[in-house]
Amino acid sequence: MKRIGSHHGTALMAAIGLFTAFNLSAQTAPSAPPGFSAMDLSRPEASNQSLQLAPIPVPPLVTPPEKIPVSRITLPQGFRAEIWSWGHPGARTMVMGDRGTMFMGTRGIGRVYAITGTTGKRQVRTIASGLNQPNGLAFKDGSLYVFAINRVFRYDGIEDKLDNPGQPVDLTAQFNLPTEVHHNWKYVAFGPDGKLYVQIGANCNICEFNPGIHGQIRRYNADGSGMEIVARGVRDTQGFDWHPATGELWFTDNGRDWAGNDGFEDEVNRIPKGMEGANFGFPYCHANGQPDPDLKRPNPCAGVIMPAALNGAHTAGLGLRFYTGAMFPTSYRNVAFIARHGSWNREKKSGYDVVIARPLPDGTARMEPFLGGLMDNTKNEFYGRPAHVFQLQDGSILVSDEQNGAVYRISYDAELHASAR
Amino acid sequence: MLIDCRRNALGYRTAFALRASRIARAIRLVERRSGGGLRAALRAALCTVVLGAALQANAADMTAISAPCQGCHGEQGHSVIANIPSLAGQPEFFIMNQLFLMREGVRRVEPMKALVAGLSDDDLQALAKYFSSVPPKPSDEVIDPELAKRGAALANRARCASCHLPSLAGQEQMPRLAGQRIDYLRHALTDLRDSQRPGADSNMIAAIGAASDADIDALAHYAASVFAATH
Ligand code: HEC
Ligand code: HEC
Repeated sequence: MKRIGSHHGTALMAAIGLFTAFNLSAQTAPSAPPGFSAMDLSRPEASNQSLQLAPIPVPPLVTPPEKIPVSRITLPQGFRAEIWSWGHPGARTMVMGDRGTMFMGTRGIGRVYAITGTTGKRQVRTIASGLNQPNGLAFKDGSLYVFAINRVFRYDGIEDKLDNPGQPVDLTAQFNLPTEVHHNWKYVAFGPDGKLYVQIGANCNICEFNPGIHGQIRRYNADGSGMEIVARGVRDTQGFDWHPATGELWFTDNGRDWAGNDGFEDEVNRIPKGMEGANFGFPYCHANGQPDPDLKRPNPCAGVIMPAALNGAHTAGLGLRFYTGAMFPTSYRNVAFIARHGSWNREKKSGYDVVIARPLPDGTARMEPFLGGLMDNTKNEFYGRPAHVFQLQDGSILVSDEQNGAVYRISYDAELHASAR
Repeated sequence: MLIDCRRNALGYRTAFALRASRIARAIRLVERRSGGGLRAALRAALCTVVLGAALQANAADMTAISAPCQGCHGEQGHSVIANIPSLAGQPEFFIMNQLFLMREGVRRVEPMKALVAGLSDDDLQALAKYFSSVPPKPSDEVIDPELAKRGAALANRARCASCHLPSLAGQEQMPRLAGQRIDYLRHALTDLRDSQRPGADSNMIAAIGAASDADIDALAHYAASVFAATH
């Protein structure tokens, strides 16, 4: 395991990186005005994509239950979907407290929610607001950890004081996270080793970045000490989990934009045992070994760990959770459910669903569909954007929908399955 | 004078007076921010708008809640004050979303803080609907054609039009740039580049991330020139 003592130790690397970036952009796009956009080396004219593609807005206001598209959801036989909670715009990450409080992180809306109570009587509280993209949540020993961009807070004994959370412990200085905004809304989780694993995205669409700072997954002690890098060359992961049997870390990683409607596929990755700190290819090597068209270097894929599976171009796989419950048929044991948020940088929309990565003995995985219906292919329209997956104690799973500020519960009923036959 | 303003407004309608007092506070904040830079004429204009709105408060709620905005953002949202954006012709979602982010305390606009705190979701939507329906006008500033040309090349390279549209009229969460004040565009782009606008879309922050001050100046002049070219 390689350690990086300080961010400043790599200043020289950064300088070299920037210099190369400048040269490259000058070479590949001679018309580029100097001094601009070394942070995005993609070339509009080369991508062959409609120049009308734009990111999709997140509605900040509440979607009432009658407008939530739960009835559109399609699932394999025997499964059913219901609204588990609603009224929390921007719904993304989900973690549960020891006493059953569901905590939920958001991005632009800047809120952290606490959801309590039972179906029909669920209560949604906003326990923090005005934060800068507080997407990273983790819970341990009664404390809620909130990771916003560049800021880290710990709310101790939070489940005792949901109505008045008070001032959190500020751990920002201890974690010393990069301040750049892009791809730095966090995904975090405690690993089986008790360490806090933290996403540090590449701060661009496609650029040369400082590998000592960006494009990583790191792990820390819960107090922010003992930082180690567990993966490099990761563009942006918004979900990871540990395989229940092998203990290996699996993570989603979203491919670059503006390299064509079908380029490059998003990845589902696995860090093989003993390979912590390994390189996953970004920015030079994408998907299953394809060199970047704008950022060229010799042998771009040398030493790069190939993905366990490809996850479709621009589908934006975010949350990833292995299934360990007893409710679903045994064939679902130890498969990873992945919420795909759906594309923006693709003329024909893709994703907007939940898929399964089924690990195979050789370390790769087979992708299978699971939850659909939130996308109308003929109209090229979508109705919801799955962001995260969470397994409840009874073995059902929850899927958050950022577009509608809602959570769906997916349950399985063997009788329903039998009667449908 | 501001006090007078408020007292008069109080005389007309208590509910509105509450807003008027918030405006008074907001104006003081703007003055502090711009180093007391608001001109006397503008103050008078503000006062008139406030009073005018108070008078009409009974007629239409919309007029009442949009009046204080026009004090700063200009008549019908055509700004004549440096560094204050025009709202006329902005996409409806953009205005609603920004007001929401300000009310939530994500985007921090000190002069507007007190004002937005009391707005309901319906108010946000009504204000957005109103200002988005007003036809935009070019700003009164002088466009430098050389800068605009350089800005066009930069904009092409950075694909500004993919989000803000080729007309730069904006769409959904993405603001209109065409017709916006050049000084505000410069100010906004600098804030975005330097990550000084919390809650701002990170794609936008990435798009402007590597721009120099000179690039930003050129882009601001370019955006203004697009309006001139298409209207
Ligand atoms: C006291 C002056 C003042 C008043 C009153 C005021 N604003 Fe503003 N507003 C500002 C300033 C200054 C900014 C620019 C903030 C910045 O620098 O980022 C702004 C920004 C905005 C923006 C963001 C626009 C953009 O292009 O980014 C919106 C939308 C807005 N105001 C709407 C309103 C509405 C609606 C009202 C009335 C309810 C209102 N404002 C009242 C001063 C004011
Ligand atoms: C990927 C989409 C995207 C691209 C590309 C993009 N923008 Fe933006 N832009 C946005 C969004 C979204 C916002 C709103 C920011 C927020 O959420 O506060 C914005 C805001 C702005 C603003 C602030 C205006 C205001 O009224 O507050 C300016 C100025 C701007 N963009 C200029 C540009 C320029 C110039 C370029 C090209 C260099 C560009 N944008 C490229 C999406 C984009």
